Amino acid sequence: MTTRFHATPWLFLAPSVALIGVFVVYPILAVVYYSFTDYDIVRPPVWIGLDNFIKVFGDETFWLALTHSFIYLIVTPIIIALSVALAIVVNRKLRGIQIYRALYFVPAVSGSIAIGLSWRWLFDRNGFINGILQTLGVIKEPIQWLAEPGLVLPIAMLLTIWAGIGYYSVIFLAGLQNIPEELYDAARIDGANDLQKHWHVSLPGLRPQIVFVAVISSLAALKVFDEIYVLTGRTGGILDSGVTMVFYLWRQAFQLHHAGYAAAIAIVLLAITLVFSIVNVRLLERGQGDA
Amino acid sequence: MTDARALDPAQAALGAALPRRRARPRRRARQLAANAGWYAVLTAVALITVFPFLWMLLTSLKGPADPIASVPPQLIPGHPTLNNYQRVLQSLPVLQFFQNSIVVSVCVTGLNALVSTLAAYPLAKMRFRGREAVFYLLLATLIVPAQLTYIPSFVLAVNVFHYYDSLPAVIFPSLASAFNIFLMRQAFRGVPNDLLDAARVDGAGEWRIWWQILVPIVRPSIAAVAIFTFVTSWNDFLWPSLMLHDRTQMTLPVGLAALQSQFSSDFRSIAAGVTMTVVPILLFFIVVQRWFVRGLAGALKG
Repeated sequence: MTTRFHATPWLFLAPSVALIGVFVVYPILAVVYYSFTDYDIVRPPVWIGLDNFIKVFGDETFWLALTHSFIYLIVTPIIIALSVALAIVVNRKLRGIQIYRALYFVPAVSGSIAIGLSWRWLFDRNGFINGILQTLGVIKEPIQWLAEPGLVLPIAMLLTIWAGIGYYSVIFLAGLQNIPEELYDAARIDGANDLQKHWHVSLPGLRPQIVFVAVISSLAALKVFDEIYVLTGRTGGILDSGVTMVFYLWRQAFQLHHAGYAAAIAIVLLAITLVFSIVNVRLLERGQGDA
Repeated sequence: MTDARALDPAQAALGAALPRRRARPRRRARQLAANAGWYAVLTAVALITVFPFLWMLLTSLKGPADPIASVPPQLIPGHPTLNNYQRVLQSLPVLQFFQNSIVVSVCVTGLNALVSTLAAYPLAKMRFRGREAVFYLLLATLIVPAQLTYIPSFVLAVNVFHYYDSLPAVIFPSLASAFNIFLMRQAFRGVPNDLLDAARVDGAGEWRIWWQILVPIVRPSIAAVAIFTFVTSWNDFLWPSLMLHDRTQMTLPVGLAALQSQFSSDFRSIAAGVTMTVVPILLFFIVVQRWFVRGLAGALKG
């Protein structure tokens, strides 16, 4: 390692530090300030102390949004289980496997708006799902899938899972290819069958990737927006049945122009994310200790 | 990865000469049956993955005489037509959306990769006062959801930078990303210090070391970062939807959302719009996927 540098490191860092300062650090400080004000973006903010926070904790829609965001976290274990399984399957050396791997990645690159629109059409009253179910005789009358309060969130979660599996399985595939072949040979000699081999060798070997995916997919689940926006046609669904934290933040800030109030929601979301990240970092450190 | 067939004895056997195949007919049959099972699973998953897009493509080709809702659903259009595409192109400047998306994504990708690769060098390879502070500051910004910053960023865009409703409004805030800086820092840390010291002995300055030694070595990581940034930027929706309202300024996802409100129940046209936007990014990804997967694997290993 070399020492005694003065200006040079800062010249390399300058563009990043300036950009992150203006577009991340300053906005976070400003949002903290706005959360204590009555602000509509047009007129200057007026200091109102803790009023926004008091209002937030008494706001039923806020609690609903918070509940929905926590429910959304269920996608994380499901995504991990399914994408580990898929990674194990596509790790087989079969002819043409590259084509399959590429196909599984299609949703990850297509963009949430295009995906959301295609799903909206599938689950429309006149959509494919109803058509198939009626053909099979499962249902007589078409179901208004996205107009059922109890179904909006599950359909959005299904979409997130469907779109995420291909992407995350690439990460697990990279992990699997780093596991030494000898470990599998040893398991085979000990008489392990296919399933036992993966349970005792693949899963422990994938631990760092599992922790990594748990972190990024749960943070993504906490801030889900696009899926809800498209599936509910920017309404948040009947009876706010699809409203999540970020969706509610967006509605308060940019639909209703309650920027001060939205800033308070943002601070609560930030606090939740921080607690979450601390737990995640602990997990990460433990994972590194094992590996 | 090398050719998969060369690694798999079963596949090699399939391709081998006839006598050898006859030598173990039972084993070969069992292997074939097992593989057929795996192919069935793989194909089923692929169908689930691709079907929504396939359904969009088929719907977009349907003419007025083809039912879009029927029991059973009509899969193949009876009267295929490109009229839906024409209608979308006539009522919305889709080509302009494309152009805007390309301008934004190319600027963001190129500049972000440059800025991140610059910042990663001192963080990985230099010792100086304040390095830890910068490092932890970046780490902290990684945790904060970007959506939290949108209210102040909106105010900045309108009152300070005056780029509201124009492409710079979606380019500038995306030019630096802590995530990319970390990936590049990991890549630089893998380069042996001896190499840098040797260059310094030869009298090379830090900028030359960065450009002529480090950058060429970590090219695969730069490629992965660039592809990842490009796809993310191409698909970014929430911030662009807050900034871009004039039709001549919209990027593709924002334009698609506008398409949805314009053709609310005309599914043939919406399907045409979705198909038009998905196909190019898919083609792009097919071309670059080798570099992406390799770079991703390398970045996560480090």
